[in-house]
Amino acid sequence: MKFLSPCYLFKGLSEPQLNALLKINREIRVKKGQFLIHEGQPAEKLFVLKQGAIELLLRINDDLVNDNFELPIAILRHPGDCIGTSALVEPHEYSLSARCFEDSELRIIKYSDLESLMLGDHELGCILMKNLAQHLLNRLKETRQELKIHFKMLFKSSRH
Amino acid sequence: MNQETEINLEQQGDIAIFDVKGDVTALSGPFFTKAYQTANDQGACKILMKFTEDAYINSGGIAIIIQILAQTKRNNQQICITGLSNHFQKIFNMVGITKFARIYNTVEDALRDLS
Repeated sequence: MKFLSPCYLFKGLSEPQLNALLKINREIRVKKGQFLIHEGQPAEKLFVLKQGAIELLLRINDDLVNDNFELPIAILRHPGDCIGTSALVEPHEYSLSARCFEDSELRIIKYSDLESLMLGDHELGCILMKNLAQHLLNRLKETRQELKIHFKMLFKSSRH
Repeated sequence: MNQETEINLEQQGDIAIFDVKGDVTALSGPFFTKAYQTANDQGACKILMKFTEDAYINSGGIAIIIQILAQTKRNNQQICITGLSNHFQKIFNMVGITKFARIYNTVEDALRDLS
């Protein structure tokens, strides 16, 4: 249970609810360089980091850049960090790719199992979705901050 | 999620060294701006940006670094980068940072170039 409780998605869940989650997850080990998920693929699994580091990437297909260019978006290196939250919302398609930055251990949860759990325990579902919304709002703030930087650069370059 | 940025400014002769630790993201802007401002106030005309091998730089961090490089270009300052992993050397090359700053594998090589 100690590997799930630090996860922001599961914050506020009771011990029996965390125990129920324990029953639907299993552990995997992934080697450095190996991909966990690929952008655009059906999102059927959620991953919780136990140990290691996972890099999130965004593929850019443009004439300006090399075909294989992957923009580094973030690194997850804290136990409890979550990968593949796209599995929780429609259209259930991964919006980023995730690659192991170093050998890692993760807990893996199938969305179909989690959905069954949420349907059987609405309070659990409500807490989980509230935590997800909070997390996505934080990510939105970070993205807006980044957008501001890009606009400042554009503005400066157009004036020089 | 990220390890907060920390930049220690060192002076070696006429070279200002930015010793960058932690992850570099959109939130690292104030740290770089402060370090650059201090180096400018000290009259630096050569800058070495030194990263640690385990540094992680995301898209926002790349934008911050490009901002600093643009300022050094405007102010006719020389700048070199060192300490990047092969992964980030490749990314810096692909996004065009290497057109504005030379990248070296070791601090010694970078300092030799700047001297």
